[in-house]
Amino acid sequence: MPSTATIEKPSNVSEALARGRLGVPSVVFFVLSAAAPLTVVAGVVTTGYGVIGVLGIPLAFLMVAALLALFSVGYVTMARRLANAGAFYSYISRGLGRPAGVGAAWVALLAYNALQVGLYGTIGAAAEPVLDRLFGVSVQWWLVALGAWAIVAVLGLLRVDINGKVLAVLLLAEIAVVLVFDLAQLGNPAGGQVSFAAFAPDNLFVPGLGAVLVLAILGFVGFESAVVFSEESKDPRRTVKVATYLSIAIIAGLYALSSWSMTVAVGPDQISEQAGEQSVALIFNLAAEHLGDTVVTIGQVLFLTSVVAAMISFHNTTARYAFALGRERVLPAAFGRTSPSSGAPRTASLAQSALGLVVILLYAINGWDPIVQLFFWCGTSGSFGVLLLIATTSVAVIAYFARDGREESLWRRAVAPGLAAVALLGVFTLAVLNFADLLGVPADHTLRWGVPIAYLVAALLGVVWGLVLRSNRPGIYARIGLGAESAAATIRAETPNLPAAPERAEARR
Amino acid sequence: MLVADEFFLVAHGDARGKAKLNSAATGLGLAGCLLSELVLGGHITVVGGDVSVVNTRPPADALAHTVLDQLVGEAQHRSVRIWLSFLAQSAATSVGERLSRAGVLRRQESRRLLRSKVSYAPVDPNAAAWPATRLRVLLERSDPPPTLADAVLLGLIAAAGLSREVLWSVGPRAEHRFTELVASLPPPLKELATQTEAAVGAAVLRGSL
Repeated sequence: MPSTATIEKPSNVSEALARGRLGVPSVVFFVLSAAAPLTVVAGVVTTGYGVIGVLGIPLAFLMVAALLALFSVGYVTMARRLANAGAFYSYISRGLGRPAGVGAAWVALLAYNALQVGLYGTIGAAAEPVLDRLFGVSVQWWLVALGAWAIVAVLGLLRVDINGKVLAVLLLAEIAVVLVFDLAQLGNPAGGQVSFAAFAPDNLFVPGLGAVLVLAILGFVGFESAVVFSEESKDPRRTVKVATYLSIAIIAGLYALSSWSMTVAVGPDQISEQAGEQSVALIFNLAAEHLGDTVVTIGQVLFLTSVVAAMISFHNTTARYAFALGRERVLPAAFGRTSPSSGAPRTASLAQSALGLVVILLYAINGWDPIVQLFFWCGTSGSFGVLLLIATTSVAVIAYFARDGREESLWRRAVAPGLAAVALLGVFTLAVLNFADLLGVPADHTLRWGVPIAYLVAALLGVVWGLVLRSNRPGIYARIGLGAESAAATIRAETPNLPAAPERAEARR
Repeated sequence: MLVADEFFLVAHGDARGKAKLNSAATGLGLAGCLLSELVLGGHITVVGGDVSVVNTRPPADALAHTVLDQLVGEAQHRSVRIWLSFLAQSAATSVGERLSRAGVLRRQESRRLLRSKVSYAPVDPNAAAWPATRLRVLLERSDPPPTLADAVLLGLIAAAGLSREVLWSVGPRAEHRFTELVASLPPPLKELATQTEAAVGAAVLRGSL
């Protein structure tokens, strides 16, 4: 749109729309609330030490943070020009073509569902101490998981997103507890000596490096969602960018500190063995040694709420992904419908819940281990899928700006995305090579190739489906990657460069 | 009855005027209706995602007049999506007031704890239920033929995710007719409906419903 307004005159419209706009702190809170710090520290990190057996996890968090920050340079720049900016597959459709976009969408559905479903594995362990204290009972993990499943399914349908303020309070409390635990661990080092061994590159660059990096990425999942608020932020050019970098920095700092302090308290040579034995109870047992019973109880309760909040958050993310695809008609149109009264993406939510139920029952009936085989395997497999999406997106960003990005600086459109792409593809290659280490299984285990092949198949089927749409349903093909905006796209199909969300265009004036 | 009035009554379609549609989609749907009234009156048109004023002759209705004045007064904002977001903020209240002035609804203030809540209850439940019934009849029979206003109302009802209210209990032929009517809307009205649908979808994705 041409810039015609030369005199700044007060505008009721701009003012009214600016009133509800979000600043950096609100966006950061939104991103971090999906991160669920205590779930990662108490659940993912401890299990990671136990299963992978590599000491360098703290350094891996820092490395991944640097890598994602580099990736975000191009990602955030491209987000401003994109409809449906919250979803990786939109970037991939615009950068690498729509068939690749559908492939990415299939991969994303698989990955986010795995992340959500995996959380049902840890809820039993998280609830155990709390139920024990409250009622003095010990309940089967799958009973707890079914209870949590019912809560998530109902809340997902009613669209009761937990109130933002409640979530913010829980998040701050979680961070506070994690920091208190960290200080107590650092104040009581094993053998009286604070060891920095966990930050030594020698302890990260070992066979299994790829596995540790995938684990670290799991902690950052959700960082990509800040861009959803481009249209709703106070300063579209700045707010989202700052919020993305800040979220990455906070997550990296917190997780690196916590995973390091664990090794200090237990001893770098002991951590793998102890974490393997005590699993998610490790940090609470450590806290029990040095801190009062009250603090431990608070920590256990917050661990439980953290897992529940993460489940709801991932459920909603997954359902929205399917909703966006339904709106595009890439998934059946039913997925794009909402419940009138609540506005919840009903079919998408029900489908996600159905999958969760099937998985819980499958694990319960077969008696598989909920922590390692459900929580950890699904979590890391999901993270592997997200890594694949990030790596592909970084290539898509380069391709996109190579065609249409002269007004962006060379750093933003080529150098940073280029470096990020090389590094991310490297990490992905390592992850594929180290996949057995990631799951902690022997190299001939079915899942060692099963999971990577599942993603490959999903991606290929998606690409084929995209090609089928291109030849048979050009109307739908044109909508791929536009998410909810695809409704308006049929009208604008004749304009080759679909303008990104109009408010951004206005904001640039 | 004007487009937004009927949308309001369909979206609050029970005897006590309780909302059947979430507030974000209601606001956006009503905003689309208010703009469609101006399109139908020949005051504005919608092309390529932008609204432009084509005739400033005052509309007969006071609310339409106000909306048109706003569009004229802030010509620097042209994007339909901007106007939908802006009008959505106040549409439920302004249309509720319009229906109260017309004697269809009664404004009610209820106090709960510290907040007072304004709602609109139908004066005559049968009259309030009429638009939904009328639309169903329209879809099931070919006589009387639907007007352009009916077609755009149906388009906006679909865009806001409220189709179920007019489609329950009707046969597949009526559903087909519904789809056909919406698909054959003339370009400015069709674009208005699709932009409204996109705005509602975007609100779902942001989780801001």
